[in-house]
Amino acid sequence: MKCKACEKEAENEYCELHEKAYRNISREYDVWKKASDVSWKQYLSEIAKNPYTGVWAREVAESLISEIR
Amino acid sequence: MENYTLIVTEKPDAAQRIAKALDSQGKHEKIEENGVPYFLAHRDQKLVVVPALGHLYTVVHQRGRRNYYPVFNFKWAPRYSAERRAKQTRPWIEVISRLASNAENFIAACDYDLEGSLIGYSVLKYACGDKEGVAKRMKFSTLTKNELEKAYEEPLPSLNFALIEAGRTRHEVDWLYGVNLSRALTLAAKRWSGRYATLSTGRVQGPTLKFLVGREKEIQSFVPTPYWSIRSEVEIKGSAYEVDYETKTFEKKADADAVVEACKGKTGEIETIEVRKLRQKPPIPFDLGKLQTEAYSLFRYTPRRTSRIAQRLYLEALISYPRTSSQKLPPEIDYRAILKKLSEKAIYKKLASDLLGKDELKPVEGKKEDPAHPAIYPTGNMPERELSEPEKRVWDLVIRRFMAVFGEPAIKQSIKACIAVNGHHFYLRGRRVLKEGWTRFYKPYIRAEEVLLPAIKEGEKVSMKQMMREDKFTRPPPRFNPSSLLQKMEEEGIGTKATRADIIETLYSRGYVAEERIVVTDLGFDIADVLGRYCPRVTSVKFTRELEEKMEKIQTNNEDRVNVLVEAVNQLKPVLEELKEREQNIGQALSKAIKRARMQERIIGNCPDCKTGKLMILYSRKTRKRFIGCTNYFKGICTTSFPLPQKGTAKPAQKNCKGCEWPLVFVRMKGRRPWMLCFNPDCPLKEERRKRDEMQSLREGS
Repeated sequence: MKCKACEKEAENEYCELHEKAYRNISREYDVWKKASDVSWKQYLSEIAKNPYTGVWAREVAESLISEIR
Repeated sequence: MENYTLIVTEKPDAAQRIAKALDSQGKHEKIEENGVPYFLAHRDQKLVVVPALGHLYTVVHQRGRRNYYPVFNFKWAPRYSAERRAKQTRPWIEVISRLASNAENFIAACDYDLEGSLIGYSVLKYACGDKEGVAKRMKFSTLTKNELEKAYEEPLPSLNFALIEAGRTRHEVDWLYGVNLSRALTLAAKRWSGRYATLSTGRVQGPTLKFLVGREKEIQSFVPTPYWSIRSEVEIKGSAYEVDYETKTFEKKADADAVVEACKGKTGEIETIEVRKLRQKPPIPFDLGKLQTEAYSLFRYTPRRTSRIAQRLYLEALISYPRTSSQKLPPEIDYRAILKKLSEKAIYKKLASDLLGKDELKPVEGKKEDPAHPAIYPTGNMPERELSEPEKRVWDLVIRRFMAVFGEPAIKQSIKACIAVNGHHFYLRGRRVLKEGWTRFYKPYIRAEEVLLPAIKEGEKVSMKQMMREDKFTRPPPRFNPSSLLQKMEEEGIGTKATRADIIETLYSRGYVAEERIVVTDLGFDIADVLGRYCPRVTSVKFTRELEEKMEKIQTNNEDRVNVLVEAVNQLKPVLEELKEREQNIGQALSKAIKRARMQERIIGNCPDCKTGKLMILYSRKTRKRFIGCTNYFKGICTTSFPLPQKGTAKPAQKNCKGCEWPLVFVRMKGRRPWMLCFNPDCPLKEERRKRDEMQSLREGS
């Protein structure tokens, strides 16, 4: 199986590094939702353009956005 | 030649200074033999002061080739026999051996620490022919005349063998780890790819890289979350002052908006005024780690640079021995004598005189002790040559810190006024210095600013000048820099004061990390991944620390050298077996990483034409010539290319041209000064330069 974000060999959907980023994205959505009631899609595009988002988290966010499209 | 005493020092500068200090007439003589300097001095008898060149001997594999592991049999041998770059140590050993054959007495006068003791020991044992048992030891913390004379007149009767054993063990354990693990990685990669690349890791390097990788993972997978705060100002007597809202952050935007709505344009009332006095104690004296941290924060000098500057200042007898962990200044160093000498320099005159006027001088001290040396302090000597700017800065820092530790506490006043606005509270804060105390001495290096408030009283009305919501996001943890990484290593108890800075530099030179705010490269990630997966014990901080502690116990005769070595080998054996078993997998992973790293090293920047490709240094298959091309060429999208000089080396400079913002290439050619090449043919700077040259030639022609 290939990682959806970087196409490296992976055991699950994401490789080990992007898996960690994916978990962070899932966890922090609750905080965003509570703070400003954004949808999942809005949330992903917000973090994809945020300068403080880590590279792997951004890559995962972008791959999730492309899936939604 | 008459009989003489042979004094062995660590470096030529120290030898010269010792010879000068010990010659009863200050007329020492320098002799050079085969490029090796040594010094003659006359005192109660003839003295020959001969320097080593740092370590002249090192641990080597007892016998065998370089391309296998595990290797556990080692011996000490001249460095020239083991290291290609240490050829100059051969004449050095030969000269010392010749001088030793006629010497009557032997004295080791190397730095009094682990490394210095080991250098002196190995020279006396191997170059001088087993003289380590009869040699005496000069112990000193500064290279000042007085201290050197005292150390010579009252030498220790023998070498400090506990310190030597500890030093030997450290070198041997580091060699066992370094050579075996590095060979395992290098050979795994070579056997898989057929190409050679030096990969290294070590006992301390592995755990250090692990810290960095851990932090990098946090940063790269970081997801920011929003929060809000209130930015507000009040107007008091015609001036605006920033005030803090009672709640620093809001998790909901609506809550922050509600506060802004309620307080905007309103008048507030000062409810309470709290005035407090704070005593700020003087700082503690510098040990090496603290000096490195301070020099990084003030001047951005890397720990290694600071260590080197401090070493030079020590060799010039301007400061005491810098490789110390002590934060204490014993009275024996004679505070008053140092201050008296410092007062001869105009800029320190007033400050030093004020301290000299005190009845008692008692330094504030830290907890850490070092049996060999006190904390770093100035000797009070003035430079005998013009110091470089960095040397001046570090010297000044050491002097001012030394004076500051004798200062009185600084007394500051803090004022906190609580302003009530429509049921909400804001805080107006001010601070000012009531008594400078020690900060007078350390002034250039203190950054805290005063915030002066006007006269205010409780019940006074103030108007809210500005009231707005600020949208913010949480930030990832900060990257390590060389200084904070050094601090982390110190906190975790791995490495020694003498080796930490070098280990950080090795991580850079191997290409595992890059940039000042440390970024782990792909190669660094892969090395850490392989080590973590196949030999986690090697990167375990706990294991490394335990081994460090055992080695430290050898210094105090509480642990046996052989036990530590046996334990190290026992720990290493199963790790190496595991690495050997998985050699193919490891080789594959590392080869890919090396290939990626090599590609990365050649990438210059984004292609200015197609915007999607990367410009890279490439080689033509036909002509073998070097040029810059776009990676999209291989996809048939972009044919952008630029010529490059064919001689010397060319690599990405990681900087952009000031004229056109295109990436620069760093070119190094034999016999020429290296330069930054802008390969943009239309760069405005090139045009300017061309016009300037034309004008010049016209002027010359007329």
